Amino acid sequence: MLYRKPLNKLQRFLRRQGFLRVGVFSAFFLGIVLYSWIALSQQPVTLNLLMTAPDAQPWQQGIVRDFEAKNPDIRINIIEGPNATNLLEDLYTSAFILGDSPYDLINMDVIWTPKFAAAGWLMDLTDRISAEELKAFSDADVEGSRYEGRLYRIPMRSDVGMLYYRTDLLEQAGLQPPETFTDLIQASQTLQQKDLINWGYVWQGRQYEGLVAMFIEVLEGFGGFWVNPENLEVGLDRPETLQAIAFLKDTIQQGISPPGVTTYQEEETRRFFQSGQAAFLRNWPYVWPLAQEEGSPIEGRIAIKPMVATPGRTGGACLGGWGLGISTSTRHPEEAWRAIQYFTSEEAQKNFILNAGFVPSRRSLFTDPEIVAKYPHYPQLLEVVQQAVLRPPIAQYAQTSDILQRYLSAALTNRMTPEQAMQAAANETRRLLNRG
Amino acid sequence: MFNTKTIRGREQRTAWILIVPALLMLLFVFGYPILRAFWLSLFTQNLGTRLQPVFSGFDNYSRMAGDGRFWQSFWVTIIFTVSSVVLELILGLAIALILNQKFFGRGLVRTSAIIPWALPTALIGLAWAWIFNDQFGIVNDILLRLGIINTGINWLGDPTLAMFAVIFADVWKTTPFISILLLAGLQSISPDLYEAHSIDGATPWQNFRQITLPLLLPQILIAMLFRFAQAFGVFDLIQVMTGGGPGGATEVVSLYIYSTVMRYLDFGYGAALVVVTFLLLILAVAIASLLLNKLRARTSGTT
Repeated sequence: MLYRKPLNKLQRFLRRQGFLRVGVFSAFFLGIVLYSWIALSQQPVTLNLLMTAPDAQPWQQGIVRDFEAKNPDIRINIIEGPNATNLLEDLYTSAFILGDSPYDLINMDVIWTPKFAAAGWLMDLTDRISAEELKAFSDADVEGSRYEGRLYRIPMRSDVGMLYYRTDLLEQAGLQPPETFTDLIQASQTLQQKDLINWGYVWQGRQYEGLVAMFIEVLEGFGGFWVNPENLEVGLDRPETLQAIAFLKDTIQQGISPPGVTTYQEEETRRFFQSGQAAFLRNWPYVWPLAQEEGSPIEGRIAIKPMVATPGRTGGACLGGWGLGISTSTRHPEEAWRAIQYFTSEEAQKNFILNAGFVPSRRSLFTDPEIVAKYPHYPQLLEVVQQAVLRPPIAQYAQTSDILQRYLSAALTNRMTPEQAMQAAANETRRLLNRG
Repeated sequence: MFNTKTIRGREQRTAWILIVPALLMLLFVFGYPILRAFWLSLFTQNLGTRLQPVFSGFDNYSRMAGDGRFWQSFWVTIIFTVSSVVLELILGLAIALILNQKFFGRGLVRTSAIIPWALPTALIGLAWAWIFNDQFGIVNDILLRLGIINTGINWLGDPTLAMFAVIFADVWKTTPFISILLLAGLQSISPDLYEAHSIDGATPWQNFRQITLPLLLPQILIAMLFRFAQAFGVFDLIQVMTGGGPGGATEVVSLYIYSTVMRYLDFGYGAALVVVTFLLLILAVAIASLLLNKLRARTSGTT
């Protein structure tokens, strides 16, 4: 047993070594865990935000950069989606139906809000913002962000339909800007008779969402309604609706609007108006900068006003526009709320408008001196925004709208009489809404 | 249950035991989804009910009766199916007859003839949407150069022309499928028959009418059945080319069901639409297979 002793020694040495190694290793391991835990908590949180590709550019260069500079703990990851907004809606829908949506902040069109809220995909924001703070936003924008009395979205940009008219032509003919439907038709006829212009009034008549956006403005002017969101009453077969359709059909029959108007979308009407072919145009705010561009045939010869109405009534302006909500599946609701607060703040909106030029959701910005200096028509735009009307804020809006689009288009293109078409539309809408 | 005393009874029992796994599989894969869809169609489950199912009996079905859009999409589907299947059949038969002849490079031509069918439909749809584009499309370019038209035609923007365009694209894509199927049928016809017939003094047309067509009928019917079921459920091609537009002119039933479920989140009504379409399709296929069996029996001379 001569070798016993050194062996024991060796064993002891190894055991000591082992303890040492274990000790060093576990200390090292714990250190890594601790370090990464600290490091991770310092890592910025990433918020995903989906938007159309053309929108993403100004966001990334403008407010996202400013926000990240001020909040180093939050990163905004903008995902560029398809250009068509209905495809964007489909992307959101399929992501949410599958359960865990990858989007934290939801950039929403006004007409999606009730659907997303009813499906339970949006966080209730009612208690996060005071009534005082909400008052700074235009009323219709806020109204369009609610569903069944709760707030689900903070408006960020507005969009309203309005009447564009040619100031030079009206002056030459000694006419005032039209106030009523009759004025509009008469002014157009006068201008056409004096050979000042080929066509009077162009509007969007194709079967698509833009058709109902245009139609609710006329409907509002006649005092009618589409669907009452309170009690889901349907007003499509009432006489006001038929009067509104009669007015639109008149514009075609009396040669004020080109017959092709029933196939036009926004861009076709904008090009028509901008090339100097028509005296009046119903369209959205994006037309203004394009029509006033250098080299445009109507540069400096246009003005805007709210849509005309029957005497004694004010015309409606269909409200579009975007706002931000928080998805229920997000893991960072607090950070998302901070981002919303910044993006909808006065400062951020002002910078964004001065750089990218869209219509604000905050009323004070319409008359802000810096903004007015750059966009002199904004005070007039405020007038339009204040007459904004909502498309019915109901959960089943998309379906309701598709029904009206089909039958309205059928009535305007003489495939059905207006009475038949609206009776059928009203019945289908009632059947849809009364269920559930 | 079975009379195990006789050989026949025992065989029957074995047969059933062997068949049960396959039956269970079929029940699980086909039976369950169909019954589930039918069950769901008895409920209202949409945004109005906050996506909660509420039992509503046959309400969804009565709503369908007054749904103009469903009937319109149904007619669009019928028009699309009938015109594309008929055109494909005529063209497919012509191509099959040509490919059945002996000529130089036949193998190469036969292989390349299936290419359209082998390509992914969504890509084909995208390609055809560009071909029919009103500004940059090659169809307008050719017509303009030939001096047939003066300004570009908006193919996909006009209801009738859009329908024509999607049918054209579908015919282009699936004719090869029919021609390959019919070619196989043609090759199984014995040349002796033609020889004998020719000796009797028959013209080529008589050959075709009296030999080719009757003997090819089973293949023609099978091809029709396949294509009918496929064309009736067409989705990808139209979704990519027109999205159902303009104004619902090319909206087939499958596109409407897709909108109802995916856009409107109207699950109950969507299920009712699926059930009705499914029953109508079953009816059509049943009639077709009845005809098929009758014809088969006649051509094989057993009746």
